Amino acid sequence: MEYVSPEGLRVDGRRPRELRRINCQLDVLSSADGSAIFEMGNTKVLAAVFGPHAVTKRSDLKEDAAVVVCEYSMAAFSTGERRRRGKGDRRSTELSMVIRNTLEQAILTELMPRSQIDVYVQVLQADGGTRCAAINAAVLALSAAGVPLRDLVASVAAGHLDGTPLLDLNFAEDSGGGPDLAVALAPRLGQLVLVQMDSRLPVDTFQAVLDLARDGCRTISGVMREALLEHTKRLAVARGMVTTSS
Amino acid sequence: MAADVGTPVCAGDRLATTDAYEAGEGVYVRDGFLFASVVGLRRVEQPAAQGGKPALCVATRGSQPLVPKPGDVVTVKISRVAQTAAHALIMCVGRQALSTEFKGVIRQQDVRATEIDRVVMYDCFRPGDIVRAEVVSLGDARSYHLSTAKNELGVVYARSAAAGVPMVPTGWVSMQCPETQTTEKRKVARLEGLAVAEDK
Repeated sequence: MEYVSPEGLRVDGRRPRELRRINCQLDVLSSADGSAIFEMGNTKVLAAVFGPHAVTKRSDLKEDAAVVVCEYSMAAFSTGERRRRGKGDRRSTELSMVIRNTLEQAILTELMPRSQIDVYVQVLQADGGTRCAAINAAVLALSAAGVPLRDLVASVAAGHLDGTPLLDLNFAEDSGGGPDLAVALAPRLGQLVLVQMDSRLPVDTFQAVLDLARDGCRTISGVMREALLEHTKRLAVARGMVTTSS
Repeated sequence: MAADVGTPVCAGDRLATTDAYEAGEGVYVRDGFLFASVVGLRRVEQPAAQGGKPALCVATRGSQPLVPKPGDVVTVKISRVAQTAAHALIMCVGRQALSTEFKGVIRQQDVRATEIDRVVMYDCFRPGDIVRAEVVSLGDARSYHLSTAKNELGVVYARSAAAGVPMVPTGWVSMQCPETQTTEKRKVARLEGLAVAEDK
Protein backbone atom coordinates (compact mmCIF):
# COMPACT_ATOMS: atom_id res chain seq x y z
CA MET A 1 0.00 0.00 0.00
CA GLU A 2 1.24 3.46 -0.80
CA TYR A 3 1.25 5.90 2.07
CA VAL A 4 2.76 8.89 0.34
CA SER A 5 1.74 9.45 -3.28
CA PRO A 6 4.24 10.68 -5.88
CA GLU A 7 2.69 14.14 -5.57
CA GLY A 8 3.48 14.10 -1.88
CA LEU A 9 -0.03 13.52 -0.53
CA ARG A 10 -0.94 11.04 2.18
CA VAL A 11 -3.90 8.67 2.27
CA ASP A 12 -6.19 11.38 3.66
CA GLY A 13 -4.87 14.14 1.41
CA ARG A 14 -2.55 15.79 3.91
CA ARG A 15 1.03 16.83 3.32
CA PRO A 16 3.68 14.92 5.28
CA ARG A 17 4.24 17.78 7.74
CA GLU A 18 0.57 18.61 8.18
CA LEU A 19 -1.44 18.03 11.34
CA ARG A 20 -5.05 16.91 11.33
CA ARG A 21 -7.74 19.39 12.23
CA ILE A 22 -7.75 20.11 15.96
CA ASN A 23 -10.79 21.01 18.01
CA CYS A 24 -10.81 21.71 21.75
CA GLN A 25 -13.88 21.93 23.96
CA LEU A 26 -13.57 22.91 27.61
CA ASP A 27 -15.78 22.35 30.66
CA VAL A 28 -17.92 19.75 28.98
CA LEU A 29 -18.81 17.95 32.26
CA SER A 30 -20.40 19.69 35.21
CA SER A 31 -19.53 17.03 37.79
CA ALA A 32 -15.77 17.16 37.21
CA ASP A 33 -13.51 19.94 38.49
CA GLY A 34 -12.12 20.27 34.98
CA SER A 35 -12.96 18.51 31.75
CA ALA A 36 -12.11 18.75 28.07
CA ILE A 37 -12.70 17.03 24.76
CA PHE A 38 -9.75 17.04 22.40
CA GLU A 39 -10.23 16.09 18.77
CA MET A 40 -7.40 15.44 16.36
CA GLY A 41 -9.03 14.58 13.05
CA ASN A 42 -11.31 11.63 13.81
CA THR A 43 -9.67 10.79 17.12
CA LYS A 44 -11.81 12.14 19.93
CA VAL A 45 -10.84 11.88 23.59
CA LEU A 46 -12.64 13.06 26.73
CA ALA A 47 -10.69 13.86 29.89
CA ALA A 48 -12.09 14.59 33.35
CA VAL A 49 -10.05 15.85 36.31
CA PHE A 50 -11.07 15.58 39.95
CA GLY A 51 -9.00 17.26 42.57
CA PRO A 52 -6.86 18.12 44.31
CA HIS A 53 -8.55 16.27 47.16
CA ALA A 54 -7.59 14.07 50.09
CA VAL A 55 -5.91 10.78 49.13
CA THR A 56 -8.30 7.86 49.06
CA LYS A 57 -5.72 5.19 49.90
CA ARG A 58 -3.64 6.20 52.91
CA SER A 59 -0.78 3.98 51.74
CA ASP A 60 -0.34 6.17 48.64
CA LEU A 61 -0.03 9.38 50.64
CA LYS A 62 3.07 11.44 49.81
CA GLU A 63 4.18 13.96 52.42
CA ASP A 64 5.78 16.45 50.05
CA ALA A 65 3.86 16.16 46.79
CA ALA A 66 0.49 15.38 45.28
CA VAL A 67 -0.30 11.89 43.99
CA VAL A 68 -1.52 11.77 40.38
CA VAL A 69 -3.89 8.91 39.56
CA CYS A 70 -4.69 8.30 35.92
CA GLU A 71 -7.08 5.91 34.23
CA TYR A 72 -7.22 5.43 30.48
CA SER A 73 -10.07 3.51 28.90
CA MET A 74 -11.52 3.09 25.44
CA ALA A 75 -15.24 3.13 24.86
CA ALA A 76 -16.61 -0.02 23.28
CA PHE A 77 -17.80 2.00 20.28
CA SER A 78 -14.49 3.80 19.76
CA THR A 79 -12.89 1.48 17.23
CA GLY A 80 -14.22 0.18 13.94
CA GLU A 81 -15.26 -3.08 15.56
CA ARG A 82 -17.36 -2.63 18.68
CA ARG A 83 -15.44 -4.48 21.33
CA ARG A 84 -15.96 -4.30 25.06
CA ARG A 85 -12.49 -3.89 26.57
CA GLY A 86 -12.06 -4.43 30.27
CA LYS A 87 -10.32 -1.70 32.23
CA GLY A 88 -7.58 -4.05 33.30
CA ASP A 89 -6.32 -5.02 29.88
CA ARG A 90 -2.62 -4.65 29.24
CA ARG A 91 -2.73 -1.79 26.76
CA SER A 92 -4.97 0.37 28.95
CA THR A 93 -2.79 -0.23 32.00
CA GLU A 94 0.35 0.67 30.08
CA LEU A 95 -1.17 3.81 28.60
CA SER A 96 -2.54 4.84 32.00
CA MET A 97 0.98 4.62 33.38
CA VAL A 98 2.50 6.52 30.45
CA ILE A 99 -0.06 9.34 30.72
CA ARG A 100 0.36 9.47 34.49
CA ASN A 101 4.14 9.81 34.23
CA THR A 102 3.78 12.56 31.63
CA LEU A 103 1.28 14.53 33.67
CA GLU A 104 3.27 14.14 36.86
CA GLN A 105 6.12 16.03 35.25
CA ALA A 106 3.84 18.78 34.05
CA ILE A 107 1.95 19.38 37.28
CA LEU A 108 3.57 21.37 40.10
CA THR A 109 2.92 18.53 42.54
CA GLU A 110 5.05 20.02 45.30
CA LEU A 111 2.45 22.75 45.78
CA MET A 112 -0.19 20.29 46.92
CA PRO A 113 1.32 17.88 49.46
CA ARG A 114 -0.75 15.05 50.90
CA SER A 115 -3.40 15.34 48.22
CA GLN A 116 -4.48 13.43 45.13
CA ILE A 117 -5.46 14.45 41.62
CA ASP A 118 -7.59 12.00 39.60
CA VAL A 119 -7.44 12.13 35.82
CA TYR A 120 -9.84 9.96 33.82
CA VAL A 121 -9.36 9.71 30.09
CA GLN A 122 -11.91 8.05 27.85
CA VAL A 123 -11.38 7.51 24.14
CA LEU A 124 -14.65 8.18 22.32
CA GLN A 125 -13.37 7.68 18.80
CA ALA A 126 -10.02 6.12 17.91
CA ASP A 127 -8.26 6.89 14.65
CA GLY A 128 -4.58 6.78 15.53
CA GLY A 129 -2.68 8.90 18.03
CA THR A 130 -4.98 8.12 20.96
CA ARG A 131 -2.30 8.36 23.64
CA CYS A 132 -1.22 11.76 22.32
CA ALA A 133 -4.79 13.04 22.15
CA ALA A 134 -5.28 11.65 25.67
CA ILE A 135 -2.34 13.64 27.02
CA ASN A 136 -3.54 16.80 25.28
CA ALA A 137 -7.07 16.36 26.59
CA ALA A 138 -5.74 15.74 30.11
CA VAL A 139 -3.59 18.89 30.02
CA LEU A 140 -6.60 20.94 28.88
CA ALA A 141 -8.76 19.45 31.62
CA LEU A 142 -6.09 20.16 34.24
CA SER A 143 -5.84 23.77 33.08
CA ALA A 144 -9.62 24.10 33.20
CA ALA A 145 -9.60 22.72 36.75
CA GLY A 146 -7.05 25.30 37.86
CA VAL A 147 -4.37 22.76 38.76
CA PRO A 148 -0.97 24.53 38.57
CA LEU A 149 1.13 23.35 35.64
CA ARG A 150 4.73 24.00 34.67
CA ASP A 151 3.88 24.37 31.01
CA LEU A 152 1.19 23.53 28.46
CA VAL A 153 2.53 20.12 27.51
CA ALA A 154 1.40 18.99 24.07
CA SER A 155 1.84 15.63 22.44
CA VAL A 156 1.82 14.23 18.91
CA ALA A 157 2.82 11.02 17.15
CA ALA A 158 5.14 10.98 14.16
CA GLY A 159 6.27 8.17 11.89
CA HIS A 160 8.34 7.32 8.86
CA LEU A 161 6.79 5.64 5.81
CA ASP A 162 7.81 5.51 2.17
CA GLY A 163 11.04 7.33 3.02
CA THR A 164 9.26 10.40 4.40
CA PRO A 165 8.82 11.53 7.99
CA LEU A 166 5.08 11.88 8.60
CA LEU A 167 3.40 13.93 11.31
CA ASP A 168 0.25 12.92 13.20
CA LEU A 169 -0.38 9.40 11.98
CA ASN A 170 -3.92 8.19 11.61
CA PHE A 171 -4.98 4.59 12.09
CA ALA A 172 -4.24 3.51 8.50
CA GLU A 173 -0.70 4.90 8.64
CA ASP A 174 -0.17 3.55 12.15
CA SER A 175 -0.93 0.02 11.03
CA GLY A 176 1.38 0.43 8.06
CA GLY A 177 4.23 -1.32 9.82
CA GLY A 178 6.45 1.73 10.18
CA PRO A 179 7.74 3.25 13.42
CA ASP A 180 5.36 5.16 15.65
CA LEU A 181 7.08 7.80 17.77
CA ALA A 182 4.90 9.46 20.41
CA VAL A 183 6.43 12.64 21.80
CA ALA A 184 5.27 15.07 24.45
CA LEU A 185 7.00 18.43 24.73
CA ALA A 186 6.89 21.33 27.20
CA PRO A 187 7.29 24.07 24.56
CA ARG A 188 8.17 27.10 26.66
CA LEU A 189 10.65 25.18 28.73
CA GLY A 190 11.89 23.37 25.62
CA GLN A 191 11.90 20.01 27.40
CA LEU A 192 10.79 16.62 26.16
CA VAL A 193 8.46 14.98 28.65
CA LEU A 194 7.64 11.75 26.83
CA VAL A 195 9.45 9.89 24.05
CA GLN A 196 8.01 6.49 23.21
CA MET A 197 8.56 4.53 20.06
CA ASP A 198 7.72 1.09 18.78
CA SER A 199 9.36 -0.65 15.84
CA ARG A 200 12.87 0.32 14.71
CA LEU A 201 14.43 3.34 13.11
CA PRO A 202 18.01 4.28 12.13
CA VAL A 203 19.44 7.02 14.32
CA ASP A 204 19.70 9.82 11.71
CA THR A 205 16.18 9.21 10.49
CA PHE A 206 15.11 9.19 14.13
CA GLN A 207 16.50 12.71 14.57
CA ALA A 208 14.47 13.99 11.62
CA VAL A 209 11.27 12.34 12.88
CA LEU A 210 11.87 13.64 16.42
CA ASP A 211 12.38 17.21 15.20
CA LEU A 212 9.18 16.96 13.16
CA ALA A 213 7.31 15.73 16.22
CA ARG A 214 8.67 18.60 18.33
CA ASP A 215 7.47 21.14 15.78
CA GLY A 216 4.08 19.46 15.80
CA CYS A 217 3.94 19.66 19.61
CA ARG A 218 4.74 23.36 19.53
CA THR A 219 1.92 24.01 17.08
CA ILE A 220 -0.58 21.97 19.09
CA SER A 221 0.43 23.74 22.29
CA GLY A 222 -0.27 27.05 20.55
CA VAL A 223 -3.73 25.86 19.49
CA MET A 224 -4.48 24.65 23.03
CA ARG A 225 -3.31 27.97 24.43
CA GLU A 226 -5.64 29.89 22.12
CA ALA A 227 -8.57 27.68 23.11
CA LEU A 228 -7.86 28.16 26.84
CA LEU A 229 -7.50 31.94 26.54
CA GLU A 230 -10.70 32.17 24.49
CA HIS A 231 -12.55 30.13 27.10
CA THR A 232 -11.17 32.26 29.95
CA LYS A 233 -12.20 35.46 28.20
CA ARG A 234 -15.71 34.12 27.70
CA LEU A 235 -15.96 33.13 31.36
CA ALA A 236 -14.63 36.50 32.51
CA VAL A 237 -17.18 38.34 30.39
CA ALA A 238 -19.98 36.08 31.59
CA ARG A 239 -19.06 36.84 35.20
CA GLY A 240 -18.84 40.57 34.58
CA MET A 241 -15.17 40.69 35.50
CA VAL A 242 -14.30 42.47 32.29
CA THR A 243 -16.46 44.42 29.90
CA THR A 244 -16.70 43.16 26.33
CA SER A 245 -13.94 44.88 24.37
CA SER A 246 -14.45 46.42 20.95
CA MET B 1 -13.19 46.22 38.72
CA ALA B 2 -12.23 46.14 35.05
CA ALA B 3 -8.95 47.91 35.83
CA ASP B 4 -7.97 45.25 38.39
CA VAL B 5 -7.99 42.22 36.15
CA GLY B 6 -5.69 42.21 33.18
CA THR B 7 -4.83 40.13 30.18
CA PRO B 8 -5.60 36.41 30.05
CA VAL B 9 -2.52 34.21 30.34
CA CYS B 10 -1.97 30.49 29.96
CA ALA B 11 -0.02 27.96 32.00
CA GLY B 12 3.62 28.13 30.95
CA ASP B 13 3.55 31.73 29.67
CA ARG B 14 6.59 33.74 30.63
CA LEU B 15 5.36 36.88 32.37
CA ALA B 16 8.26 38.92 33.75
CA THR B 17 11.66 38.77 35.40
CA THR B 18 12.26 38.41 39.12
CA ASP B 19 13.95 41.86 39.16
CA ALA B 20 10.67 43.65 38.54
CA TYR B 21 8.11 41.50 40.36
CA GLU B 22 7.68 38.91 43.05
CA ALA B 23 5.86 35.66 42.49
CA GLY B 24 2.29 35.67 43.77
CA GLU B 25 -0.47 33.10 43.56
CA GLY B 26 -0.59 31.16 40.31
CA VAL B 27 2.99 32.10 39.33
CA TYR B 28 6.23 30.14 39.68
CA VAL B 29 9.88 31.11 39.34
CA ARG B 30 12.45 29.42 37.12
CA ASP B 31 15.89 30.65 35.98
CA GLY B 32 15.13 34.21 37.07
CA PHE B 33 11.83 34.42 35.17
CA LEU B 34 8.24 34.33 36.35
CA PHE B 35 5.98 31.83 34.57
CA ALA B 36 2.23 31.45 34.94
CA SER B 37 1.21 28.09 36.38
CA VAL B 38 -2.54 28.35 35.81
CA VAL B 39 -4.86 29.72 33.13
CA GLY B 40 -6.40 33.00 34.24
CA LEU B 41 -6.19 36.76 34.29
CA ARG B 42 -2.93 38.50 35.07
CA ARG B 43 -2.99 40.81 38.06
CA VAL B 44 -0.44 42.96 39.87
CA GLU B 45 -0.70 43.41 43.60
CA GLN B 46 0.95 46.18 45.56
CA PRO B 47 3.98 45.18 47.65
CA ALA B 48 3.15 43.96 51.13
CA ALA B 49 6.19 45.50 52.84
CA GLN B 50 7.62 48.97 52.32
CA GLY B 51 10.12 49.08 49.48
CA GLY B 52 9.25 45.58 48.38
CA LYS B 53 8.51 44.50 44.84
CA PRO B 54 4.92 44.31 43.59
CA ALA B 55 3.56 40.80 43.39
CA LEU B 56 2.43 39.32 40.09
CA CYS B 57 -0.51 36.91 40.39
CA VAL B 58 -2.75 35.01 38.06
CA ALA B 59 -6.38 34.93 39.13
CA THR B 60 -7.86 31.60 38.20
CA ARG B 61 -11.50 30.73 38.68
CA GLY B 62 -10.98 27.47 40.52
CA SER B 63 -9.56 28.70 43.80
CA GLN B 64 -7.60 26.20 45.82
CA PRO B 65 -9.95 24.31 48.11
CA LEU B 66 -10.43 25.82 51.55
CA VAL B 67 -8.84 23.71 54.28
CA PRO B 68 -9.15 24.29 58.05
CA LYS B 69 -6.02 25.62 59.75
CA PRO B 70 -5.22 25.83 63.47
CA GLY B 71 -6.98 28.89 64.86
CA ASP B 72 -9.97 28.82 62.50
CA VAL B 73 -13.44 28.88 64.01
CA VAL B 74 -15.42 26.12 62.31
CA THR B 75 -19.00 24.92 62.32
CA VAL B 76 -19.30 21.19 62.86
CA LYS B 77 -22.06 18.60 63.16
CA ILE B 78 -21.61 15.95 65.83
CA SER B 79 -21.70 12.47 64.34
CA ARG B 80 -20.81 10.23 67.28
CA VAL B 81 -20.34 10.77 71.01
CA ALA B 82 -17.97 8.45 72.87
CA GLN B 83 -16.86 8.47 76.50
CA THR B 84 -13.70 10.50 76.00
CA ALA B 85 -14.34 12.26 72.71
CA ALA B 86 -17.02 13.51 70.38
CA HIS B 87 -16.56 12.95 66.65
CA ALA B 88 -17.78 15.60 64.27
CA LEU B 89 -17.89 16.55 60.61
CA ILE B 90 -16.51 20.00 59.76
CA MET B 91 -18.99 21.68 57.44
CA CYS B 92 -17.97 25.36 57.37
CA VAL B 93 -14.79 27.31 57.99
CA GLY B 94 -15.61 30.79 59.21
CA ARG B 95 -18.42 31.99 56.98
CA GLN B 96 -17.60 29.76 54.04
CA ALA B 97 -19.15 26.34 53.48
CA LEU B 98 -16.83 23.54 52.44
CA SER B 99 -17.39 21.40 49.40
CA THR B 100 -15.94 18.30 51.12
CA GLU B 101 -16.45 17.44 54.77
CA PHE B 102 -13.47 16.96 57.04
CA LYS B 103 -13.48 14.87 60.18
CA GLY B 104 -12.81 16.47 63.54
CA VAL B 105 -12.75 15.28 67.13
CA ILE B 106 -13.47 17.18 70.35
CA ARG B 107 -11.54 15.47 73.11
CA GLN B 108 -12.68 15.42 76.70
CA GLN B 109 -9.99 17.86 77.83
CA ASP B 110 -10.91 20.36 75.12
CA VAL B 111 -14.61 20.71 75.85
CA ARG B 112 -14.32 23.46 78.46
CA ALA B 113 -11.67 25.44 80.28
CA THR B 114 -12.48 24.44 83.85
CA GLU B 115 -12.69 21.02 85.55
CA ILE B 116 -11.56 19.30 82.38
CA ASP B 117 -11.19 15.86 83.99
CA ARG B 118 -14.80 15.73 85.22
CA VAL B 119 -16.45 16.23 81.82
CA VAL B 120 -19.25 13.84 80.82
CA MET B 121 -19.30 13.92 77.03
CA TYR B 122 -22.93 12.92 76.74
CA ASP B 123 -23.94 15.93 78.85
CA CYS B 124 -22.12 18.28 76.51
CA PHE B 125 -22.95 17.08 73.01
CA ARG B 126 -25.40 14.74 71.34
CA PRO B 127 -25.31 13.34 67.80
CA GLY B 128 -26.85 15.79 65.36
CA ASP B 129 -25.93 18.96 67.27
CA ILE B 130 -24.42 21.87 65.39
CA VAL B 131 -21.39 23.13 67.31
CA ARG B 132 -19.05 26.08 66.89
CA ALA B 133 -15.51 24.98 67.64
CA GLU B 134 -11.97 26.16 67.11
CA VAL B 135 -9.33 24.09 65.34
CA VAL B 136 -6.54 23.37 67.80
CA SER B 137 -4.23 21.36 65.57
CA LEU B 138 -4.11 19.26 62.43
CA GLY B 139 -4.57 16.23 64.66
CA ASP B 140 -3.80 12.69 63.63
CA ALA B 141 -4.34 10.86 60.37
CA ARG B 142 -8.06 10.58 60.92
CA SER B 143 -9.33 13.90 62.22
CA TYR B 144 -8.60 17.46 63.21
CA HIS B 145 -8.48 18.27 66.92
CA LEU B 146 -11.17 20.77 67.90
CA SER B 147 -11.84 22.69 71.08
CA THR B 148 -14.93 24.35 72.57
CA ALA B 149 -13.12 25.71 75.63
CA LYS B 150 -14.31 29.29 75.24
CA ASN B 151 -17.53 31.09 76.09
CA GLU B 152 -18.51 31.69 72.52
CA LEU B 153 -17.85 28.09 71.45
CA GLY B 154 -20.19 25.17 71.95
CA VAL B 155 -23.60 23.98 70.83
CA VAL B 156 -25.48 26.56 68.75
CA TYR B 157 -28.34 24.41 67.50
CA ALA B 158 -29.78 21.20 68.90
CA ARG B 159 -33.03 19.33 68.53
CA SER B 160 -34.78 17.95 71.56
CA ALA B 161 -34.88 14.20 72.04
CA ALA B 162 -38.57 14.24 73.02
CA ALA B 163 -40.23 16.35 70.35
CA GLY B 164 -37.49 16.81 67.75
CA VAL B 165 -37.90 20.61 67.66
CA PRO B 166 -35.02 23.08 67.98
CA MET B 167 -34.26 23.84 71.61
CA VAL B 168 -33.79 27.20 73.30
CA PRO B 169 -30.63 27.80 75.39
CA THR B 170 -31.37 28.42 79.07
CA GLY B 171 -27.91 28.73 80.56
CA TRP B 172 -24.31 27.71 80.14
CA VAL B 173 -25.08 24.02 80.41
CA SER B 174 -28.73 23.57 79.56
CA MET B 175 -31.21 23.92 76.72
CA GLN B 176 -34.97 23.61 76.89
CA CYS B 177 -37.46 22.17 74.47
CA PRO B 178 -40.20 24.74 73.75
CA GLU B 179 -42.91 22.10 73.30
CA THR B 180 -42.36 19.65 76.12
CA GLN B 181 -40.51 22.04 78.52
CA THR B 182 -37.93 19.35 79.26
CA THR B 183 -34.37 20.57 79.78
CA GLU B 184 -31.39 18.79 78.34
CA LYS B 185 -27.74 19.27 79.19
CA ARG B 186 -25.41 20.71 76.58
CA LYS B 187 -22.25 22.84 76.50
CA VAL B 188 -23.97 25.95 75.13
CA ALA B 189 -22.21 28.63 73.11
CA ARG B 190 -22.76 32.15 74.33
CA LEU B 191 -23.33 34.17 71.18
CA GLU B 192 -23.29 37.98 71.16
CA GLY B 193 -26.67 39.61 71.34
CA LEU B 194 -28.38 36.42 72.46
CA ALA B 195 -30.22 36.86 75.72
CA VAL B 196 -29.56 33.74 77.73
CA ALA B 197 -31.90 33.27 80.68
CA GLU B 198 -29.74 32.47 83.71
CA ASP B 199 -30.98 29.43 85.56
CA LYS B 200 -31.57 29.80 89.33
